[in-house]
Amino acid sequence: MKIIAFLNNKGGVGKTTCSRTMAEYLGKIKKMPTLAIDFDPQCNFSHQYLNMEVDPVAPEGLMPPIHPDYDENSAEDADWDGRSSVAEIFYGQGVVPYPTWVEHLDMAPGHAEKLLAAESVRRSEVVEKVHVQLSQFLSSRDVQETYKAVVIDTAPSKGPLTVSVIRAATHIVIPSVMEEQPVQGIYGMLQLWMQESMTREKERPLILVGILPNMFKQTRLHRDILKSLEDNTAISKYILPVRLSQRIVFAEIDSEDSTPHSIFDFPDNHVAKQEAMEVCNYISGRIFE
Amino acid sequence: MTRKKRFGVSQSISQGLSDTIQAVEHHAGIFRHVVLPLSRIELDPDNPRKLAITLSDVRKGLDRTDPAYHKKAAELEKLTELATTIKNSGIINPVVAWKGPSLYRIVAGERRCLASVLAGRTEIEARIFNEKPNAFDLKLIQWTENTAREDLSLNERLGNIHDIQHEYLARHPGAAFSATLLSGMTGLSLAQASYYMTVLSGPLDVKNAIQSGHLANLDKAAVISGVQINSLRTDMLRACLAGCTLKELRSMAQQKKMPFPVKPVANRQPGRKASRINMGSTRHTGVVAFLAKTLLETPTLSPHVGLFAKVDWNHYDHAARAFRTLVELLEKRLAGQDTGP
Repeated sequence: MKIIAFLNNKGGVGKTTCSRTMAEYLGKIKKMPTLAIDFDPQCNFSHQYLNMEVDPVAPEGLMPPIHPDYDENSAEDADWDGRSSVAEIFYGQGVVPYPTWVEHLDMAPGHAEKLLAAESVRRSEVVEKVHVQLSQFLSSRDVQETYKAVVIDTAPSKGPLTVSVIRAATHIVIPSVMEEQPVQGIYGMLQLWMQESMTREKERPLILVGILPNMFKQTRLHRDILKSLEDNTAISKYILPVRLSQRIVFAEIDSEDSTPHSIFDFPDNHVAKQEAMEVCNYISGRIFE
Repeated sequence: MTRKKRFGVSQSISQGLSDTIQAVEHHAGIFRHVVLPLSRIELDPDNPRKLAITLSDVRKGLDRTDPAYHKKAAELEKLTELATTIKNSGIINPVVAWKGPSLYRIVAGERRCLASVLAGRTEIEARIFNEKPNAFDLKLIQWTENTAREDLSLNERLGNIHDIQHEYLARHPGAAFSATLLSGMTGLSLAQASYYMTVLSGPLDVKNAIQSGHLANLDKAAVISGVQINSLRTDMLRACLAGCTLKELRSMAQQKKMPFPVKPVANRQPGRKASRINMGSTRHTGVVAFLAKTLLETPTLSPHVGLFAKVDWNHYDHAARAFRTLVELLEKRLAGQDTGP
């Protein structure tokens, strides 16, 4: 099972869009049993596939809906409130992934309040309570036997949640807008990659697939910054040879009633679909072949 | 005309990105940093640091009936000092270990481990090699770890150098293990490396004095080891053990005109290469007359006998000049250049 995480501690660089595109590609195109995990308290990734709920008494944000398999009259579900998020791993409870409208794709949604609580765990307890929990969950036999791929969207931070994802991942991709501040975010992620790589066993390396130029615009700013990264020999080999351009279609398909709802449901000659296919083919090739 | 602005990543970010990438590429997979339970460690029996005290002694306490009790008690006292600092501020550098068949074997940091146990700690920060380091690397690591320690005896340091040499030669059969090579490997100065090599290849009496702990100074050991004359070396060793300084030892060696080992040189004559034969000289004029007469009777020179008819063979100058002429004639005849008188 491959665990692919999209990371950048700078917000607004398109982590969620990349996670969504990759998850749908693996499910729809590759027909690969895939689990999407939302580790960002903003829960935007979850909202793509589930009708996340806003609870007025939980002002921190969204929470998962009632699970379709939940039966309040069943004795089996007597101890369950019917909602399940990936944050349950921090509370010693099981995670029940939700089916989504994308074939072969399940979702372990976020839970704003619970994820924020995990992010604020005291420093002395963080390793035991946060860092290792996702890794343990994904190592469980149930998860390993059910899925061939896991795609994780992360919070724009270098905090305990992101470290937890890095600890669990087999592959990481760093999407970045080719602007100064997001590039600084790349540095933050490389630091985490280095720290994790120094603690890993040789047989289980954390592979940096690369830096994905995202939301790319044919402007002098984006072109020059991409070129300055490519001109550095150490960095250039980690700059992916594919890119996702800034396109309104990615924002449009976020809308609940958009048709089509997935970039991969567009006609084959659609330029955005072609670009998404090219990016996902490349990343998937690097990971699975 | 205005010039178009050019953009780029700042120098510091670009440097930071490439440094981080290179750090991972160069170091990931070699070792990992972990917190190691002290219950899962064992000491390396081959470590050049020859501690008498064991993990069991520290965990269970010393046994008064143990023959090595006094040595262990002294070591325990030193460890207690270290344990106090560990109790207060932990260890500064992680220990180094590799995963043995059942326990983690400590490559470097034995005292820190023992003192941590003594301090009541249950874990220690460690750098774990992903694979068992080969014997040569192991010895080098232990040298690097131990070299900065002042409390490591000369015998222990020599033992470590000996092991490094042994493992190097095992990996490079037939290679020469020189002081320059040792200096390059360990970071020792060339002089220090030479001293170690001199002592290692030196006489047994000096090594025995080092082993017993009576001789603990490398420079002195090297000066004494270099002495070839047994009696002088014995005197110097005795003087050293009596407290002689290095300068005094060097002076002893100089006063007795210590013969340094003479390098074998090729057996050749000084000066230019000989191209002719000196026929020698004699005060006895009869010798020259006899030689001349004998030669002029031979078929080779008999045709020239008339040239020497008037020579006064009793006169030194006449006899010498005539003999030279005779030799020149003979040279020409033998070379086939003589056309006859």
